[in-house]
Amino acid sequence: MSERARNLVYIALIVALAATVAVLIAGNPTEEDRVARLGGSIMCPVCQGEAIADSPSDMARDMMDLIEERVAQGATDRQIIDELTAAYGQNILLDPPVSGPTLVLWLAPAGALLAGVGVIAWWRRHPGAPEGSPSAPSSRTRTAVGALILIGSLAAVLVAVTSYLQERDDTTSGLADVQVDDLDEVSNETLEAVIAANQEHPQISGMRLALADRYREEGDYRAAFPHYFAVVESETSAAPEKVAALAGLAWITWDGNGELDTALGLLDRALEIQPGSVPVRFLEGRILHCAGRSDQSERVLEDLLAEPTLPSDWEDAVTSELAAVEAREACA
Amino acid sequence: MLAFLGSAGVAVALVGASLLVVRSTRVARGIGGADLGGPVKLVVAGAVVAMAAMQIALTLDDFSIAYLANNHAMSTPFPFDVATAWAALEGSILLWGMILAGYTWMVFTAYRKAPDRLGAAALAVMGAVAVFFFGLMITVANPFEVCVTAAERGCLASSPFPWAFADAPVDGRGPNPLLQNHIFMAIHPPLLYLGYVGLTAPFAYAIGALAISVPGPEWLRRSQRSTLLAWSFLSLGIVIGGWWAYEVLSWGGYWAWDPVENASFMPWLVATAFLHSALVQQRRGMLQAWNFVLVISAFALTILGTFITRSGTIASVHSFTQSAIGPTLLGFLVLVLVGSFTLLAQRGHLVASAPRIESLVSREGTFLANNLLLTVFAFVVLIGTMFPIILEAITGTRVGVRGPFFNRLSVPLSFLLLLLVGIGPVTPWAGADPGLIWKRIRGPLVAGLAAGVLVAMTVTRNGWVVLAVVLGIFVVGSIGGILFEQAERRRSKTGAGLLASAGKVVKGDARFWSGQLSHVGVVLVALGISFAANLSQHQEVVMAEGDRVTFAGHTITYQAPFQQDVPGKTSTGVRLEVIRPDGSQVTLEPRHNFFPGQPNGVATPAVDTRASGDLYVMLITLEGGVATLELDTSPLMWVLWLGGLTVAAGGFLSYRNRRQERTLVPRETVGV
Repeated sequence: MSERARNLVYIALIVALAATVAVLIAGNPTEEDRVARLGGSIMCPVCQGEAIADSPSDMARDMMDLIEERVAQGATDRQIIDELTAAYGQNILLDPPVSGPTLVLWLAPAGALLAGVGVIAWWRRHPGAPEGSPSAPSSRTRTAVGALILIGSLAAVLVAVTSYLQERDDTTSGLADVQVDDLDEVSNETLEAVIAANQEHPQISGMRLALADRYREEGDYRAAFPHYFAVVESETSAAPEKVAALAGLAWITWDGNGELDTALGLLDRALEIQPGSVPVRFLEGRILHCAGRSDQSERVLEDLLAEPTLPSDWEDAVTSELAAVEAREACA
Repeated sequence: MLAFLGSAGVAVALVGASLLVVRSTRVARGIGGADLGGPVKLVVAGAVVAMAAMQIALTLDDFSIAYLANNHAMSTPFPFDVATAWAALEGSILLWGMILAGYTWMVFTAYRKAPDRLGAAALAVMGAVAVFFFGLMITVANPFEVCVTAAERGCLASSPFPWAFADAPVDGRGPNPLLQNHIFMAIHPPLLYLGYVGLTAPFAYAIGALAISVPGPEWLRRSQRSTLLAWSFLSLGIVIGGWWAYEVLSWGGYWAWDPVENASFMPWLVATAFLHSALVQQRRGMLQAWNFVLVISAFALTILGTFITRSGTIASVHSFTQSAIGPTLLGFLVLVLVGSFTLLAQRGHLVASAPRIESLVSREGTFLANNLLLTVFAFVVLIGTMFPIILEAITGTRVGVRGPFFNRLSVPLSFLLLLLVGIGPVTPWAGADPGLIWKRIRGPLVAGLAAGVLVAMTVTRNGWVVLAVVLGIFVVGSIGGILFEQAERRRSKTGAGLLASAGKVVKGDARFWSGQLSHVGVVLVALGISFAANLSQHQEVVMAEGDRVTFAGHTITYQAPFQQDVPGKTSTGVRLEVIRPDGSQVTLEPRHNFFPGQPNGVATPAVDTRASGDLYVMLITLEGGVATLELDTSPLMWVLWLGGLTVAAGGFLSYRNRRQERTLVPRETVGV
């Protein structure tokens, strides 16, 4: 066989095999494939950064069932994602958003790649000149150029940061005219509307938290859930807001779904943010009490009581709860 | 007493390091032929005495030392009591110092054999780095502080003065339970540190060469050799770390893009880039300035990694102020970066390499692409790790950068790199004939694609897995192809058998072929990762005693809960009888381990490893005999571990061969 004929055989083989592989892996995805792919792109709301496809928790399982059902009904990927984000908020999408501060995160690697290609192209044209040749800049010039580049990039970073900060200030004035102090007089519906209109606002978490607490007190855990969750996952929430939201989530996952371990996990996350937080530890003791784990509950509450810096109003609450646990009374 | 001994060791090492800086600077500047052995011996002896004092204290349970009071307990069994010496901040700096002393000794023995200005300048840099780390040990991270106010367990206040009146607790807090759970945890940190700290030596040669204004082949040869050793240890440390996470941490994973993991991965990527681009300078005289940048960056990234993992910055920016070690490390990092790059800029005219690259279709062209991808990869990991910290520090906004971000960017980069691994070795240096490359890769391409079709038809149609198989077989095929080609050529010349000829070929260019062994390891890692990431199954089950479930072909029966007391820990768990898909039986015991003095148990999975894959069982809760279990199957997990070990093995073999070569080939003379 001539070299030419051999080449043709190889090319034909490669094209045929590549096409077969492409058809096999891209060919009509089965419903199972779609469910797995969608499940891999949605974050489990009660776990830490885990996709619902990978999480064994009940909540993730329920969401996977929902996706399976919708896929079977013939819904498109877009529709399913939209439905889920409407119910649980944008934050359940696993990728950091390609907007706002995280935009930098996505653009920087692309920029680095382009810069690298640029440097190589430049270097191909201008390889380092041998020493002493007239085109070689002196070391002092090079130091100066290096310093200039350094100062330039620092300045660019500063400008970028300040402009970003200013943008944040501007949006504050654009917040809807509802003040936090007259929140009590605002109906749930109005609050929902305000929140919906200002989702990206950096200070919206406080309002969400207030609304979620109100829903929780009314016993409407389903409505409270997405707001707590949004506060936990929001980039702009303050640490105490996150802690409060995690505590709220913990209570409704325990009281509403009976998921004790999930609830305790959420409280652990809150304690990671604010180690030793008294309300969180109190809630932990209380949930353990309600779950019938009196020994553990006693331990948590006793630890809390032994704290030298415990405020006196908390001391009363802890003492009475501890008494109830010790008397093996059902939790109130 | 032991606090005295340890502090004295640290002080001696510090004095030795300072003397080393002064004397070797004089030698490097050519103004004196002072003895450098004395100071180096002081550094090594001081470090060994300090570590020995720590180990004796651990054996004798001397809780008058605050570090022991807070991190050791009488019940801590062997070998974890030994490992406690580096289980917390101060101790890990002590280990760092001892390993640094070892590498200083290594640089010194090379210098002693053939003294030159470059070797002396490198010793001065090693000494300066040692001054910093032993300086840390007498200031912000003193492992020998004396406990002056004891708690029931642990120490409330301590004094840096070894003569302070000690108030020792009866028992200590014990090490973090996670660290007591598996033998890997005792060996993983030293391996990782051998890698981290080892990157100081190439940095020292690079800075030394710049300082004495003698760039050229010699600094590169020594930097490359020492990088190879450090890189091999780093590879091994990373794999053992992943393996440990998998066997001990109950989440079924081995890599989570955790900041601590990223901290070890970034210098690895940059050192890998250097090992390749160093070849370009060696063979073609190009890229010298770039090589300096890589060596400096790899060292800077190890300091950044220590800063990230040891300052508590990652957990929250707000804990930053709690320990003075964070700002100190950050200051050192800035000093290293500014100092090194200023020096590089000043020597720019000496460093710039003249030769022009003829064609991008050449070995050096593939190495350029490889360097671009590896550095962008390192940059992705860097920005993903640092972005949340920087953003929170500047704006107070918290963002989570999670696995998906890293995966989204690292997966395409890794596949491109894998493709290059197949093309690079078959591409000749200095302008290759595209026809020759095509001739060498067409066969492997057909083999890879055929394997892909086979896998897609019989095993899975998951695109990532199929792509990994296609590229993996392609790489192995093209490496095998060049071996075959060269063996054939040799056989036709000598008439020996093909296998014997292949053996001769490998022996003849052992450096190249140990590199290819690492490449095969990379293929195995890629296959292992794509199988584990795409083909595993999970299920959570709740079982009462006697219940039976079937999962992925396994029949699992819950026999009974159990409780075990062994010295140093108590375990509660469940005994499961598993009938594997092939009918054989095994008993698995997932459990929670409880350690004295630590309220929370550590969930420890039970793993049944088989050639086809692992059955991985985690005990989530056990209440009143009712167990909640998570069951996972991970196909072909051993491929991943084998691959990682193969990567490291290739590195060690290459290092050994370079060493032999060194003794055979007369040393090039350097302008002294």
